[in-house]
Amino acid sequence: MLEALWEGLLLVLQWKAFGFMLLGIGLGFWVGLLPGLGGATTLALMLPFIYTMQPVEAFAFLLGMHAVVATTGDITSVLFGVPGEATSAATVVDGYAMTKNGEAGRALGAALASSLVGAVVGAVALAAAIPVVRPLVLTFGSPELFMLAIVGLAFIASLSAQGTRGMLRGFLAGGLGLLLATVGQDPQAGVARFTFDTLYLWQGLDLVPVLVGIFAIPEIIDLFVRGNSISGNAPPGNVANGAWQGVKDTYRHFWLTIRCSLIGTFIGVMPGLGGSVAQWMAYGHAVQSAKTPEERERFGRGDVRGVLGPGAANNSKEGGSLIPTVAFGVPGSTAMAILLGGFLLLGLVPGPDMLTKHLAVTYSMVWTIVLANVITVAVCFLFLDRMASVTEVKGHRLIPAILVLVFIGSYTSNSHYGDLLVTLVFGGVGYLMVRAGWPRSPFVLGLVLGKIAENYLYISVARYEAAWLTRPVVLVLIAVAVAVILYPFLQARRSRSRA
Amino acid sequence: MKRRQLLIAAIGLAAAPVAMAQSFSGKTVTIIVGYKPGGGYDATARLLARHLPKHIPGKPTVIVQNMPGANSVIAANHVYNVAKPDGLTIATFNRNLPIAQLTGVEGVKYDITKFAWIGSAANESTILAIRTDLPYKTFEELRKAKEPVVIGSTGPGANTHDFPLLLKDLVGLNFKIVSGYSSSADIMLAVERKEVDGRAGSFTSLRPFIDRGVVRPIVRARSTEPGIDKLPVDESFAPNPRAKAIMALRSAPELVARPYVMPPKTPADIVKMMRDAFARTIDDPELVAEGKKSKMDLEFTPGDQAQRILTDVMNQPKDLVAEFAKYIKFGE
Repeated sequence: MLEALWEGLLLVLQWKAFGFMLLGIGLGFWVGLLPGLGGATTLALMLPFIYTMQPVEAFAFLLGMHAVVATTGDITSVLFGVPGEATSAATVVDGYAMTKNGEAGRALGAALASSLVGAVVGAVALAAAIPVVRPLVLTFGSPELFMLAIVGLAFIASLSAQGTRGMLRGFLAGGLGLLLATVGQDPQAGVARFTFDTLYLWQGLDLVPVLVGIFAIPEIIDLFVRGNSISGNAPPGNVANGAWQGVKDTYRHFWLTIRCSLIGTFIGVMPGLGGSVAQWMAYGHAVQSAKTPEERERFGRGDVRGVLGPGAANNSKEGGSLIPTVAFGVPGSTAMAILLGGFLLLGLVPGPDMLTKHLAVTYSMVWTIVLANVITVAVCFLFLDRMASVTEVKGHRLIPAILVLVFIGSYTSNSHYGDLLVTLVFGGVGYLMVRAGWPRSPFVLGLVLGKIAENYLYISVARYEAAWLTRPVVLVLIAVAVAVILYPFLQARRSRSRA
Repeated sequence: MKRRQLLIAAIGLAAAPVAMAQSFSGKTVTIIVGYKPGGGYDATARLLARHLPKHIPGKPTVIVQNMPGANSVIAANHVYNVAKPDGLTIATFNRNLPIAQLTGVEGVKYDITKFAWIGSAANESTILAIRTDLPYKTFEELRKAKEPVVIGSTGPGANTHDFPLLLKDLVGLNFKIVSGYSSSADIMLAVERKEVDGRAGSFTSLRPFIDRGVVRPIVRARSTEPGIDKLPVDESFAPNPRAKAIMALRSAPELVARPYVMPPKTPADIVKMMRDAFARTIDDPELVAEGKKSKMDLEFTPGDQAQRILTDVMNQPKDLVAEFAKYIKFGE
């Protein structure tokens, strides 16, 4: 196995493969920065170019590109509060708050450093999991996937403000998210739900326009009203030289970063859960790490841990989602489904063979993910402080540019004016939520997990009736969900008794 | 003299298509795909777009534009009502759009038979495959199954759902259909972990798993291709002509599985030119080689034939359509 690992590295380091990887990284860098244009779409567009390549070159190119999208997506999230990718929305919550506090450099440093840790953890997990991957993935049937979604929803407890009122608001917002996830044609009876007779809503609400609207629009209004720059309210001085500080933060909270990376990898391995789930569960876990209520209050107002968690998870999930793709030929995400097309194109049949006969190729993918992120992070650090100084530009110069990004970003999801309307409507909803002090994260978590929870619950009941509730892994996950919900309460009580 | 006339006639003939299509030189032909990038419809369109220019007089640029939404009804409505009939807009969309029109789906603003049909770029063969570790090797054995056979599906309107549904309701197979999987790949994983016993789907998507010995093909729909032509056809088990008609109606769109159309009222000469271009492109050795690599077998069905198949679908008696609509919903 070690031999294959070494061989895999040598394969990637061949000059041709390495060159293609650099090309891929260059492309992925921009795709990640621009909101809307997603990694999956770009992969589909690039697929025709691999016809004449060797497998290792092709994967160096495609994976190199895909691996950095989430990394640079975080940059847009942090600097402008506009999610650069659907998978980097959670970074907005604390990342952009830090930017407003004048800590853009630090937030970027933390996002990138944690991305690197995440990518490495994901790749190591992929490498280590290869011998045991088949039984691992096969243990998780529909009932277990449903319970994972419930564990995800349980994180609403940590994402809400404290106290009864805060919890109530959090769970209500989560409920609204779940409700909106039902929009569209349902997969059991084929009935159109809440579509108001429009074709646009038939396939449900697209995540990107909603995310861009609910996170970016309120911030743009806020910036406009304040009339100065993004970091205008902060004491001037350290905007452009905090990047190193962010790296140090990553090592200060090293175990948190590792844990969030593992969460990301695990969610990535589970096919059908989707990349947007991982970041929010990681964010929820980061919030749990707060030891006192005062510390907890800081989340959402610019706590660096709120950047580290999702930053790590949205990169580590790539290594994770390669696992089912390679081992079963069953893609863990849309991007992986397209990559699977690339496998066939190159005459590789995903499945057990990839773990034995073509093991070196599989390991070359692991190395690509690691190398691509090392290179991207290194390059970004050269420009990081300069990037951060964008936040000192006056709002009236910056707003038009951000608005263009926002609307082009949302429009690329369906090229339909409905995308723009959804962005505006959810921009309004987001603004009201911010003004009234309602948390937005639980809403997004509900929206992201709604469909998954609904479908897997239906399948579990249709297939096993009530018997699914007694499956051992389901029981464990029920316990985990209860623990996740009770954790904030216990924490509050403990700190009270200490006081 | 005679010879000269012949020569002129020959030059005239040779020049005719060039003259007719002069307008295409320097122009851009757009193929609108009713889905997001990444799926089969999109991949086929992009493969065609790479090779079409060589075969269209004037060698125009051919680009692909994605117009997703409502299982591609949005794209069809657009091309039917908005796009200009000048040959510069081609659309490819969900093969089940005729079903949407037939069953009166809200929001349909096209008449499928009135598009200017270029044709279909491929057939789709739907099969049902069952896990190899189960005792059912033939249709007859499956028919006698005492325990319900669990079939995973993505949802109504998809061939993963509708094909087994008709076998269950019309032929009386002991199936339990569990729907809601997010993709056919997702069902495949459920097959591997023995959550479900089998699935229906296109032969192309099931083939790797048949080759690997995970599942065994049992029965197919009318449309066929090499490798499965010996499988029994679902219609042959229909208990009565009515059931047979419903099954035939479900599988009709699979004969026009990758539809390519232009807006209604596109001039006949442009339509003919495009049909020829598609026919030549699909036979182009370079395209065939590329298609082989990515496991896309293209086969051209000319527009007039496609139109005939679909006109036949639209002309079914009302009561049959009403019964059909009880089983089949438009989707995917």
